[in-house]
Amino acid sequence: MENMSELKRQVDEEHSSERDTQKGKYMTFKSGNEYFGLEIQYVNEIIQLQAITAIPETEDYIKGLINLRGKVIPVVDVRLRFKQEPFEYNDRTCIIVINIKSMMVGLIVEKIAEVVEIKEDNILPPPSVGRTDKVQNKYVYGIGKVGDAVKLLLDPDKLLNDQDLTVVEQANEMNVEED
Amino acid sequence: MAEEFSTDGMLDMYLFENGQLLEQLQDMVLEQKDADCFDEDSINEIFRTMHTIKGSSGIMMFDEITAVAHKLEDVFYFLRESHPENVPHLELVDHVLEVADFISNEMEKIRNGEPVDGQAGEIVSTLDEFLNKIKGGGEGGKGKKKKGAEVPENKHEEPKQFYIAPMATSASHFYKIYVSFFPETEMANVHAYKIVYALKEVAEDILYSPEDIISDPDCAETIIKEGFKILLQAQASEEEIRKIVGVGYDIEKVDIYECKAEEFLQGFDFTEQDLAPAAPVIDLESSVEEIDSRTQAAEAEGEKEEQKPEKPAKPAIAPGDFVIKSKEPGKQKKLAKDKPKGEKASFINVNVSKMDQLMELIGELVISESVVLQNSDLKVPGLNLDNFNKAAAQLSKISTDLQNVIMSMRMVPLTNTFQKMNRIVFDVSRKLGKDIEFVMVGDQTEVDKNIVEHISDPLMHIVRNSVDHGIESKEERRDSGKPEKGKVTLSAKTEAGKVWISVEDDGGGLDREKIMAKARKQGILDETRTDSSYTDKEVFQFITLPGFSTNEVVTEYSGRGVGMDVVVQNIQAIGGSLEIESKKGFGTIMSLKIPLTLAIIDGIVMETGHSSFVMETGAIKEFVRVKEDMMIHEPNGDEYIMIRGECFPVLRLGRWYGLTEYKESVEEGVMLILEVEDKKVCLLVDKLIGEQEIVVKPIPSYIKKVKGLSGCTQLGDGSIALILDAPGLIE
Repeated sequence: MENMSELKRQVDEEHSSERDTQKGKYMTFKSGNEYFGLEIQYVNEIIQLQAITAIPETEDYIKGLINLRGKVIPVVDVRLRFKQEPFEYNDRTCIIVINIKSMMVGLIVEKIAEVVEIKEDNILPPPSVGRTDKVQNKYVYGIGKVGDAVKLLLDPDKLLNDQDLTVVEQANEMNVEED
Repeated sequence: MAEEFSTDGMLDMYLFENGQLLEQLQDMVLEQKDADCFDEDSINEIFRTMHTIKGSSGIMMFDEITAVAHKLEDVFYFLRESHPENVPHLELVDHVLEVADFISNEMEKIRNGEPVDGQAGEIVSTLDEFLNKIKGGGEGGKGKKKKGAEVPENKHEEPKQFYIAPMATSASHFYKIYVSFFPETEMANVHAYKIVYALKEVAEDILYSPEDIISDPDCAETIIKEGFKILLQAQASEEEIRKIVGVGYDIEKVDIYECKAEEFLQGFDFTEQDLAPAAPVIDLESSVEEIDSRTQAAEAEGEKEEQKPEKPAKPAIAPGDFVIKSKEPGKQKKLAKDKPKGEKASFINVNVSKMDQLMELIGELVISESVVLQNSDLKVPGLNLDNFNKAAAQLSKISTDLQNVIMSMRMVPLTNTFQKMNRIVFDVSRKLGKDIEFVMVGDQTEVDKNIVEHISDPLMHIVRNSVDHGIESKEERRDSGKPEKGKVTLSAKTEAGKVWISVEDDGGGLDREKIMAKARKQGILDETRTDSSYTDKEVFQFITLPGFSTNEVVTEYSGRGVGMDVVVQNIQAIGGSLEIESKKGFGTIMSLKIPLTLAIIDGIVMETGHSSFVMETGAIKEFVRVKEDMMIHEPNGDEYIMIRGECFPVLRLGRWYGLTEYKESVEEGVMLILEVEDKKVCLLVDKLIGEQEIVVKPIPSYIKKVKGLSGCTQLGDGSIALILDAPGLIE
């Protein structure tokens, strides 16, 4: 058994070195006035906006389901997720399909920007005392500098499954049941 | 990368193969649990299984599994070689099952990536004890250590080269032997094999034709038609050989010709001249006993040698097989009946995820087909579409066939699930000291693989309940004039697109009064109803409520009041239902009604607001257009509707889900009357689109469960519709 796990570890290490080519690259997109970055390894593909089937009784930022070549995946409106004002979808609106822990989710964003490389030295931790909206900092794990511009780097896992939020949800559910 | 695959693949293969072996092992053991002892085939089979598991576990370095398998292998080696009398059969069965459980457990741990920490020590020592016990006084002197060391050797070696290189001893003679059998002889190949075995005693080299006499039953015919030819090199004289070959009731004549070494090496060039009347025909009237004794001697020889003439790849008989002969004649033991060997079909194992992928692709294919065939570009007036339509019809036919094939590929018989139940009945009844006959009917019924996985647990619970609570104790049964042996019947059948699985026992039945009393205590009963207004069916459904158990005594197996509610939940989760019938004093029947498949259902597509929904056709009783004056509004907002003198609660789909732009007026929409287990409700939707076969897909787990939705599907135009779940809505 030990030998095997040893072997596996080695293999994993080799495997991770393959990923190095993707390391440090970020897919950036615009939402509101800010530019956000997602590590490219999470991004599966970018598709045009398509018909969304709404699901009743879900959070407002979950817009519903789309059919991606036979695969049903949920889509999340990033602006609503950030508690920003909703925006009109137009032909520049895109869906970034990301894959986290083998779960596929689409993110609806206003505009795709570009893929940039950000060195680790250029990533700063988010300011501990938030500016105006503290909420936003939860999903932002770092601030990447690209030239003069700044990209907010997102932790996709937190973006989708926010712990605080679920607690609130549960509380709501309990209230409903008591009613 | 490659290394990762190889280790994972090995582990997968290990788990898969051994899992199958263990399953077969259990089936076999349980099948013969009522016999007085295992038959020879089974002993060999168990021995081989343990040997295989031992070997593969050794390679994978699961030492504890290896140790246990090794020990059981020892026990069966002893059984196989020494045919001990007075083996406590049930105890042996217990031991085998215990070992199987231990290994299964460990394998489960491996599968879940947990540490493999089971301790084999205890099992090994009980097996040691058992082994010593059955060895009894006679062989008791032999230390078990020695036994363990010597036993597994020489068992599964590659079959040795059968053709010993011809030794050019001057004393050797070369013979051509031609044996012909009476045409009515059955299994001539086996007789031929006996001769070969007998000749091996004296043979320096032997060659025979047809070669494949054991594994190829068809060669029996060849042997009868063309005779059985042997080339033999031996020191023995012709007379001796004639004696060895012997004669039997089945052998017509034996011709033996001596030949030269050159001829011998040429092989089988039996020509007519060779068969010339050189030797006299042997006298066939010699005594039968003589032959018998000779045959037995030959077989005893075979046991020691364990040489196999055919290639190791032939699965029909593996090395180490067919050597066991029953004990002395006259001491007939009750052997388990021979199970009919099913037809050999060839199988390959396919990863389920690949099947799912294929299924998905075919689903997509069907949808894109409808996108093409109903493309709006085709609707341009004046197009001549005759050829297109012909081609389209052909395409539709093929894709329908394709769909049917993939569906049938996913269907598996319930046999394995039923066998598991057999095991449970055995275990529980033994522990409780009840004598129970377990009957299985229709275990070949095929069900979608996904469903099989889901019904195993609920079924197990029901069966356990039947044995534990259903069947009374022996004394009670005797007092009430029933046979002491209880009977539990597990049956399955397909009917109207559903599978019915029922568990029937001839035990005490459910006590209506007791259940009513308990229900009253728990405050479940509706105060406004009289007791007698409850139907039996309703009363029995109470036992499926959480925390409801009429059993005062909590046993190891059941009676804690958790269970039946979980059973019902699990069954409902796959779209099934549970029905209970019972008659006090005569027994209980619990019937599961489950869909054949989860993957494709017939559905009605409808629209409300801008959303499409699908409802399983079976849940809809009828569609009605209603008038406003049929509605009854309660002040608290609840609505009812009178249809043909019956009053139904009304559910407006649009309002329920807070949709936008749905039709408010009941006169514009359509009412669907839904019925689930006698509960009825009216659902108001905007309009109906049509009926369609739909491929059910789960709603991604990221979205939390919404009440009343059971999944989603893709419609012909590629859009997604949500599948409404009638039981969820009625709740």
